[in-house]
Amino acid sequence: MELNSPWDGEHLRLRIIVVVMLIALLFLGGSLWRVQVLHGSEHTERLDHQSIRRVRLPGLRGSIADRNGTVLASNRPSYCLALYVEELRQPGRSSETIKEVERVIREISEIIGVPPQVSRRDVHTHIRRRLPLPFLAWSDLSPEALARWVESGVSFPGVDIHIEPVREYPRGTLAAHVLGCVGRSSLSQDEKESYHFYLPDMEGQFGVEHSFDTRLAGLAGGRLIRVDASGFKHTERFEREPRKGEDLRLTLDAEIQALAESLLEGWRGSVVMLDARNGDVIAMASAPTYDPSKLHSGYTRLRKDKSLPLLNRAIEGQYPPGSTFKPLVAIAALENGGITASTTYDCPGYFELGGVRFRCWRRSGHGSIAMRKSLEQSCNAYYCQLGLKCGYDRIYHMADAFGFGHRTGIALDLEMKGLLPNDTWKRRVLKDGWRSGDTCNVSIGQGAILATPLQMALFAAALGNGGKIYTPRIVAEPWEEGDLVQKMAWSAPTLATVRGGMYDVVEAETGTGRRARIAAVPMGGKTGTAEYGPRDARRKYAWMIAFAPFDKPQYGAAIILEDANSGGRDAAPRMAKLMAGVFGSKPVFLSPEEGAAAAEAAAAQEGVAL
Amino acid sequence: MRDFIRQLGLLRYMNWATALATLLLLITGVLFVYSSCYISEELPVRSLYKRQVFWALAGILCYIFFAALDYRVLRRWSWTIYVGCLVLLVAVLLFGTIREGAQRWLTIVGFDIQPSEPTKLALIIVLARRLGLPGVYYGEWRRVGAVLLLLFMPVLLILKQPDLGTAMVFVPLTFIMMYGAGVPWRTLGVIALVAILAVGCVLGAVFLPEKLGMDPEIQEKITAMSGLSDYQRSRIMVFFGVADDPLGVGWNKLQSEIAVGSGGLWGKGFRNGTQNILGFLPRKVAPNDFIYSVIAEEVGFMGSLGVFLLFGMVFWGGMRAAMSARDKLGRLLCVGVVAMLFCHVYINIAMTVGLMPITGLPLPLLSYGGSFMLVVMSALGMIQSVHIRSRRVVY
Repeated sequence: MELNSPWDGEHLRLRIIVVVMLIALLFLGGSLWRVQVLHGSEHTERLDHQSIRRVRLPGLRGSIADRNGTVLASNRPSYCLALYVEELRQPGRSSETIKEVERVIREISEIIGVPPQVSRRDVHTHIRRRLPLPFLAWSDLSPEALARWVESGVSFPGVDIHIEPVREYPRGTLAAHVLGCVGRSSLSQDEKESYHFYLPDMEGQFGVEHSFDTRLAGLAGGRLIRVDASGFKHTERFEREPRKGEDLRLTLDAEIQALAESLLEGWRGSVVMLDARNGDVIAMASAPTYDPSKLHSGYTRLRKDKSLPLLNRAIEGQYPPGSTFKPLVAIAALENGGITASTTYDCPGYFELGGVRFRCWRRSGHGSIAMRKSLEQSCNAYYCQLGLKCGYDRIYHMADAFGFGHRTGIALDLEMKGLLPNDTWKRRVLKDGWRSGDTCNVSIGQGAILATPLQMALFAAALGNGGKIYTPRIVAEPWEEGDLVQKMAWSAPTLATVRGGMYDVVEAETGTGRRARIAAVPMGGKTGTAEYGPRDARRKYAWMIAFAPFDKPQYGAAIILEDANSGGRDAAPRMAKLMAGVFGSKPVFLSPEEGAAAAEAAAAQEGVAL
Repeated sequence: MRDFIRQLGLLRYMNWATALATLLLLITGVLFVYSSCYISEELPVRSLYKRQVFWALAGILCYIFFAALDYRVLRRWSWTIYVGCLVLLVAVLLFGTIREGAQRWLTIVGFDIQPSEPTKLALIIVLARRLGLPGVYYGEWRRVGAVLLLLFMPVLLILKQPDLGTAMVFVPLTFIMMYGAGVPWRTLGVIALVAILAVGCVLGAVFLPEKLGMDPEIQEKITAMSGLSDYQRSRIMVFFGVADDPLGVGWNKLQSEIAVGSGGLWGKGFRNGTQNILGFLPRKVAPNDFIYSVIAEEVGFMGSLGVFLLFGMVFWGGMRAAMSARDKLGRLLCVGVVAMLFCHVYINIAMTVGLMPITGLPLPLLSYGGSFMLVVMSALGMIQSVHIRSRRVVY
């Protein structure tokens, strides 16, 4: 058989295969010789006493400043003692290595005179999950402890000083809810080892720190260092430069923010101020507040706190808007409801519907009044009749189109939608149809309707700027134009009437919001007082929304206080202070402490505004 | 059955030198799996060598079975085996478990198997059958095309997992088998040229867009067209020194080179490889793909040369069997098996020395791993079967 003849063509091919394989193997063997024997001596010498250490260079997180460049969040260096666990590894079970790490920690602890900051559990977790990273046994060492370590002259292999950035909020609690905070970045176990090494140091957990995390986060770098058995570092090879995160500039004005927060001292509530021309958030305060740098140590306590300090009430707080909702009802009625500015309704001090009395805050009644007066006086009886005449569908559609019951789209997490009830909603949730009483309730901003302070500030701004709705911005460059969502098709006469009524609220002598008046700059506003909880508890939310200056509004603002008396008495004076601070003016009316008598007299005359 | 038992008696005619070399490699494997894992913090990893012993014993059974089995029955079974493997490859894409971003494992009655491993053997068998058909001349493109189709189906399925390293083995394997089968030089030359162009295109897609400073969007599109995953790209780029990142992706390569280099002439001694003990060699891969680094560090150049020689004996035994085979099927089976083993050994060792990108191919007989061990031992058994039946007088 030809197959068995050794020199035929195919056998030749097999021989060629053998020869090629042999040559390839010889080449490989040659490379092995080169690496192991020729260059081997270098490797051996180095590796007998040295190892290569990966030193991580943290990528700095970008800073956060206010619109004028005042720094609100930055980094400061913290001196740490880092243990390179890979160099301390012991043969055998992990407990051996943990023991060794603990021994080293104990010895260092004696030298620097600082008790250990980490537990056995921390060591264990680190070995299992973050081995390529340095293990920070002591963070934020005092200069004395650091000096003792340097001067001791004792050298530990696998221990070195490591500088880590620590997030710092120079203005303390200022804008804590907006800024949010950072935490140690978490990692899941099955991620690639190489990836671990470049993990960002911290990750934003709330607020701007969280929603802009990708822009703020830096990218870690690293360098390789040869370390010998005595801990001595030989050559440094720079390998990858860390990259700093982007610095952010907020739309907030730190001074106005501070003023807004001071207005809430001792209260629960929120202040939001927007730039009416582009939707920039000038101030967003929520009280009570917390210190973001101490958030982690006191987190459980803050969580359990009944006054909910962690809640950013400006976007997460949902309140019945009370009378501040009336301008919207007025607009809906004027635009589509067949009602003119001169349509009058009678107020005998209440409005009765099917045996239920909707009381007006003035028991004696307002008499027969028209639209503009109804706003100034915040007459409930007027708005109940107006709402019924206009019909709830029109009110609902106007409010829905404006954005009540929808998120404004601000770039902060956990924004709430509020609630704009309608028949469908009521059937679904309360298993009951929509009734005229519901219409009356919503017409005066009560009942199921809920809005966030940010929505109300947006509403105030829109009333000021003629119906333009912007997406509220928290981070923006000053030259950027506002992010216009839509311009409401509100006719000029409608706007004139409603704005006129709001002008009277503040600027007329009998206006319910006259305490918001400031010298020099006229404004338009609307107070509101919404009851909540059981009727006997007499707990009320005090609201005030306002825009100023009246003719060419720059700002729209909303203030809400929980557990207050009335919008006119509690919210309006604060609005005055806020606007006075913004425009460098001063309130016309004295604060309660300054003129307690005057306030009392006014209270007797005014009663409780509903 | 009785027939099979009678055939067991034929085992006395097998190539004992090759068998001994195989056994020595198996023992070496167990020893160094132990050495690379004994310091591990986790008990299952520390006792990995015991499982390796189990797999080695199971492998020996496969070896004996396939050595005793007349390889000529594979002629009848080749298509069944090949189609079965393709079905498994499809199944792994549908139901397989995902580990570290790749879908390679299929759990069948409690055992995790990698269908791509038996597919290597299946391809060898079906190619040996196809190329070994008597009287078929492979100068015609139609016939060559049919052979290439047999290659591409499993390769595409494996690339989909994605497992670049394994898919890479199939191509030279087929090429060598075609060469061994007598496919004309001209045809092979054209195929090689096309293959080189294709690889060049992929590499071009990896490197050129960035080099030419293209628009990032176009870059991304081209990268997507190359069909490589991000980590495959980064590995290739590290290999070519474009994105040298010794802290991240390049860490394994650097550490492996240091481990091999520090072994010196005689090594640091068994269980004394500091690179390995200190965990510089990635612990996950030390007993698998980087076992040769551990060996080279601990027994040095002389030791790794010994491993070389043992492999050389196995290869030589295979090629001897190929040359003395009674028929084309047996010859091509041997060539195919040797080609497969050679690719694995070469790529794996070249990778630890830094001559090749890190692809994640196991080292036959030495690396830890069940599926591959059984496949390799079965393949070596087949060589013995060919060897035994090449004797002129069998009965």
